[in-house]
Amino acid sequence: MAACRALKAVLVDLSGTLHIEDAAVPGAQEALKRFVTNTTKESKQDLLERLRKLEFDISEDEIFTSLTAARSLLERKQVRPMLLVDDRALPDFKGIQTSDPNAVVMGLAPEHFHYQILNQAFRLLLDGAPLIAIHKARYYKRKDGLALGPGPFVTALEYATDTKATVVGKPEKTFFLEALRGTGCEPEEAVMIGDDCRDDVGGAQDVGMLGILVKTGKYRASDEEKINPPPYLTCESFPHAVDHILQHLL
Amino acid sequence: MAPWGKRLAGVRGVLLDISGVLYDSGAGGGTAIAGSVEAVARLKRSRLKVRFCTNESQKSRAELVGQLQRLGFDISEQEVTAPAPAACQILKEQGLRPYLLIHDGVRSEFDQIDTSNPNCVVIADAGESFSYQNMNNAFQVLMELEKPVLISLGKGRYYKETSGLMLDVGPYMKALEYACGIKAEVVGKPSPEFFKSALQAIGVEAHQAVMIGDDIVGDVGGAQRCGMRALQVRTGKFRYLSDSCGPGSFASSDAEELAGANMPSDEHHPEVKADGYVDNLAEAVDLLLQHADK
Repeated sequence: MAACRALKAVLVDLSGTLHIEDAAVPGAQEALKRFVTNTTKESKQDLLERLRKLEFDISEDEIFTSLTAARSLLERKQVRPMLLVDDRALPDFKGIQTSDPNAVVMGLAPEHFHYQILNQAFRLLLDGAPLIAIHKARYYKRKDGLALGPGPFVTALEYATDTKATVVGKPEKTFFLEALRGTGCEPEEAVMIGDDCRDDVGGAQDVGMLGILVKTGKYRASDEEKINPPPYLTCESFPHAVDHILQHLL
Repeated sequence: MAPWGKRLAGVRGVLLDISGVLYDSGAGGGTAIAGSVEAVARLKRSRLKVRFCTNESQKSRAELVGQLQRLGFDISEQEVTAPAPAACQILKEQGLRPYLLIHDGVRSEFDQIDTSNPNCVVIADAGESFSYQNMNNAFQVLMELEKPVLISLGKGRYYKETSGLMLDVGPYMKALEYACGIKAEVVGKPSPEFFKSALQAIGVEAHQAVMIGDDIVGDVGGAQRCGMRALQVRTGKFRYLSDSCGPGSFASSDAEELAGANMPSDEHHPEVKADGYVDNLAEAVDLLLQHADK
């Protein structure tokens, strides 16, 4: 079945999946690698620094984040965004015109979610501008307790304008399709390796990729039973996943 | 549609929305909508009973009525059905102590309410007070409660101010609903209890009453679901193009701009069909005085 696929691309989740002792991916030179993550508060430069300190030999254009997905979408739609994103995420949008905006991008940016700014965004949307959400998390954990994520504010604008946002982060299809866009591979020619059964593996399989669930990071026993169809493969860790790919899928 | 004589037969009482019908709020006390001051005066001189039925929750009734009187309107506090007093009633009956996510302008309406150790959240049109911090405070209160209760004064999507369209309480209510996985209780239009209390105040039955408003869903749809008739005005937040036209479509609430663009006037909401569409309150009152039973 899947064993005869021509595998051309491997997407690897970052946190929870890659390990220091596995910096080298032996024999996978024919397979393209892309490292994907849902982070919205770090630019690719920041991520690169972190990974390089962990001795990963990765170049910047091999990292694909949900911010990258948003940027790709903006470029394809040829729109000028009002960017409601964390300041640390701005470098990932360098070069994109933001004056006279005709689109709205919402990420995790509490400092932007005040009435004046949201009202500006609301008026743009009412005029027909598309709403792009990095993700719709309800809340996140801060030192002082739980804090509202972007999800509630995206929902607010969707209700106000009777429109739906395009969500670009995992597990949305847009994320995986955008991640593969630069590789020239079809989803059927790609495999995703990750520790989040729903967001990494489920999301990838929904788009036609093979999903490999690794039992590290946020994995909990029986996670593989939570999606339908189940993961193509559940294995111990990233190196095991790579072994399998090298033996069966190339 | 049937002729106006038929549509307005048997009307004895009129519920008037305020924002978008009488005036547009905004800097310097707002602006009266052309013809509305005289229209209210004519209604009051007639035998029709009049009640103001508003979701205004950014200012107290006293402040609102004061502003309207300064614009020349014949209106007093006793003639207004507003959501804050209705909410206070519910809070007292149910022993609820609210975290108030409100604008300071309406705080005086809650003077009799115990706000210590909150066991619920009341959200109103807080305007500039919808800071991330205040929203987060409300969210944290709800998440700590075993039985989270969220009371929303109305659920309108937006309203018209002189400077343009403004986000109303509805979107922020939805934000907290989504964040906490709960559903708010709505006090104010379009909740049936709210309309009923307005009708009770003037001793008129639903089938003898007509609501005049600028919000096709909240005013018109809500009133009709209570058995009233309702007229939609083309002032205030009324938009000539429906919101469901999708991104990129031309949209404007400026009649002249649209007339020039030769766009079809969209008065076809997918769910709500008003009993009549009029340019403004003045036109509605003309028709009422002509056709409603004397």
